[in-house]
Amino acid sequence: MNLIEFNAVSKTYEGRVAVRDVSLSVTQGERLVIVGHSGCGKTTMLRLLAGFIAPDTGSITINGDRVAADGCNLKEPEERNLGMVFQDLALWPHMTVTGNLEFGLKAKGVPKVERATRIHEVLALVQMEPYATANPAELSGGQQQRVALARALVLRPRALLMDEPLSNLDFELNGQMRQEILKLQQALGFTLLYVTHNPDEAFEIGTRLVVMRHGAVERMGGVDEIREYFKTLSRHVVEGG
Amino acid sequence: MARRVISVLIVLLLAVIGLLPLLVMFGQSLIVHGRLSTEFYRASLASTHTWVLLGHSVALALLTTFFAVVLGVPLGIVLGKTDLLCRTLLMALFTIPLLMPPYIMAVSWSYALGREGFVARWLSVPMAQQTSTWLFSLPGCVLVLGSTFLPVVMFLTMTSLQSVNPRLEEAGRLVSGWFEVLKAVSLPTALPGILLSAILVFLLSLGEFSVPTFLRYQVFSVESFTQFAAFHEVGAATASATLLVLIALLILIVERQYVRRPLASLQSTFDRAETVPVTLGPLRAWVFMLVCLLCGVLVIVPVLVLVIQSASPAAYVEAFSRAGDSLLRSVAYAAFGASCLTMLGFFLGYFLARRQLPFWQALDFLTVALFALPSTVIGVSLVTLWNKPATSFVYATPLIVLLGYLAQYTALTSRITVAALSRIPASMEEAAQVAGAGWLRRVACVLAPLAKRGLVAGWLVSYLFCLRDTGITMMVYPPGGETLPVRTFTLMANSPPRLIAALCLIMVAATLIPLGLLNGVVRPMRAAR
Repeated sequence: MNLIEFNAVSKTYEGRVAVRDVSLSVTQGERLVIVGHSGCGKTTMLRLLAGFIAPDTGSITINGDRVAADGCNLKEPEERNLGMVFQDLALWPHMTVTGNLEFGLKAKGVPKVERATRIHEVLALVQMEPYATANPAELSGGQQQRVALARALVLRPRALLMDEPLSNLDFELNGQMRQEILKLQQALGFTLLYVTHNPDEAFEIGTRLVVMRHGAVERMGGVDEIREYFKTLSRHVVEGG
Repeated sequence: MARRVISVLIVLLLAVIGLLPLLVMFGQSLIVHGRLSTEFYRASLASTHTWVLLGHSVALALLTTFFAVVLGVPLGIVLGKTDLLCRTLLMALFTIPLLMPPYIMAVSWSYALGREGFVARWLSVPMAQQTSTWLFSLPGCVLVLGSTFLPVVMFLTMTSLQSVNPRLEEAGRLVSGWFEVLKAVSLPTALPGILLSAILVFLLSLGEFSVPTFLRYQVFSVESFTQFAAFHEVGAATASATLLVLIALLILIVERQYVRRPLASLQSTFDRAETVPVTLGPLRAWVFMLVCLLCGVLVIVPVLVLVIQSASPAAYVEAFSRAGDSLLRSVAYAAFGASCLTMLGFFLGYFLARRQLPFWQALDFLTVALFALPSTVIGVSLVTLWNKPATSFVYATPLIVLLGYLAQYTALTSRITVAALSRIPASMEEAAQVAGAGWLRRVACVLAPLAKRGLVAGWLVSYLFCLRDTGITMMVYPPGGETLPVRTFTLMANSPPRLIAALCLIMVAATLIPLGLLNGVVRPMRAAR
C-alpha cells in the first residue's frame, strides 16, 4: 500500500519553479532517496510533505488522507505524524538532549512515565544514553546527529524525512552514520524519505531512487537502474566534451 | 597608514568628547574651596531626599519597563510573526511616539486628562481632577514613557524572533501547534533580544528628565538638572547624578556578561525569506481589533488631541513666527549630527567588527555607557569641560551641541555598522586586498557600498535621536541657538495650549517628513536589489 503520494504537485517561489508537476508514491517501509543538484527542488519536496509550505497545484496524500490540495494545506504539520531530520539538525539550543526529545512527546500528551521510557529506549538505540542531560552545544557533530535522529524517532512517526542530514560530517563519520541509519531503519521498519546531492550516499541508503532536475522528476528506479543511468550520463558528458 | 591615522583619530575623539568631560566633571565635584573633598557626595548620601529620589527613579524605570515589555512583546510577536492585517501601517503608527521628544506625549495627555483638558470639558470637572492627579504622578509618567519606549521592545522582539532559525520552529511544528512552538522554542531562543530591549527601556527611562519635569514627578535626572540650571552647582549636580551613573554602569556590565554573548549566537546564517508566518486563523479579526484599540489609546488619541487643540491656522502662523528659526536649526543640527555620527560610527564599527581586540571592546563599552547615561549628566560634563574663555569657540557655538550628540549617540551608529558588517563575508575585503587595494579604498569601494543599507539606517536612527534630543541641547545650546524641542519646552510654561500643540505637531512633521522622503529613496533601492 502507498503511504505517501504526490499527485501532479507544483510549487513556485517568487516566479521561480521549485517543483514542477511531480507525481510519485512511497510504499510502507520503503527507503526512497531523492537525489539531485542544489536547487533541483528536492528539499522543497520534503517541506511540502511536512506541511511547511503548500503546493500551488496538485495534491499530497499520507496514508490515504489528503493533507494538501488546491494551493492549501489541509492538515497542519503536527497533524501529519512525520519525523524530520534537518540539514542543520535544528536541535533546540536552550533544551537538553532529554528536553529536545520530550518536547514532542509532551505536545502529543504522552504520560510522564511513558515519556521517560520512550526517551530511554530511543537514546539507548542511538547510543546516546550517557548524554541525556547534556546541551546540544556540548556534543560532537556525530552525537548531535544521533540526537536529531532520536528526536524524530521517539515520536514513532509514520515516515522519517531526512534533508541532507550527513552533509556537514567528515567522510569517515558520514560513512559510519549511513550504516547506523540503515541499521535503525531495518530494525524499526520505518518509511524513509531521504534527500541528498551525493549519488554514493543515495545508492547506499535507498531501495528506490528519484533523480530530480530543475524541479521535475528526471528518472525514477531501483539502485542498479539509476547507477546505470548516471554512468550513461557520465559517458555522454565525456564523449560530448 | 590610513588605518592607523583613522583609528588614532577615533580614539582621541572619543576620549575628548566622551571620557574627558566626565572625568573633569567628577574631578571638579571632588574639589570644594580648592581642596579635595567628598562633601557633595557625603551630603547627597546623608540626605533622605536622595534615597526618596532614588526610589522614585528606580520605580519609574521598573514600571515603565514592565509596561513596555508586557505590551511590546505580544505586539512584536503579532506584528513580526503573524499574518495580521495592516502590519506595516500598525508598526509605523506604534513607532510615532518614539520619534518625538517624550514630553510631547506628556503635553498631549495633559490636554486630554488635565484639570482644563478634554475630560473636564466633555465629561465632568471632578473626574478631570482625578485624572489630572493620576497623570501628574508616577502612573502618568509610566503611561507616557511606556508608550514612548514600547516600540523599542516591539522592534527588538520582532528582530529577535525573525533571527530565530526557522528550522528550529519547523522541528517544533512537526509535533505541536504554533502557540506551543512560540512558547517553548521561539521566545526562549529570542529571549536575549527581548532582555536587551528591557534593559534599554530601563536605562532610557532612568535617565529621562523632560517627562518627569513636565509631570512634576521628582526623580534624579530632574534633581541633577535643577541643581545645575537653577543653582549652578556642578558638584551637587554631579553627586546627585552619580547613583544613576552607577546603576547604569552596573546594568551595562550585567548586559555584557549575560545578554550580549547569547545575542551574538542569534546571528543568522539562513535566508530570512524562509520564515513562515504564524496563521492566526479565526483569531485574526479579534487580534486585529485588539491591536487597533491599543494603537488608538496609546498613539492616535494623543496625536488627535494635539490636532484638535491646535486646530486653527493662527496657531501655526504664531508657531512658525516664534519658532521657525528653531525648526530650521533643529533639522540642520540633526542632519549634520547624523552625518558625523554615521561616519564616526562606521569606522568605530569597522574596528569593532574586524579587530576583536580588548582595546576596541573597551571603547565600545565607553560608547554604550555614554548612550546609557542620563542626557543631563552628559550635558553637565560638557559644560564643565568647555565653559572656559579659551574654549569659547566650542562652547559658544553649535559645535558644543554636535559634541553632545557625538558623545551620547555614537553607540547607535557603531552598533548598526557592526551588525551590517557582520553580514559581509571577510572574503569580500580580502579579495580587494589581494587585488592590491589599500585599506581606505577597500573600505570606501567595497565595504561601504555593501553596508549601504546599514549606513542609511544608522543615519536615520541618529537623525531621529538628534532631532528629538532635549536633555543635552537644553544644557548646552549656545546663545540664540535653541532647537525646536528646547524652544517648545521653554515656551510651555507661559504660552497658550494651542501654540504648544501646534509646535508639537510641527515637531512631529519635522521628524516624519524626512523619514517619508528617505523612504521614497530607499524603497526603490531595495526594489532594485
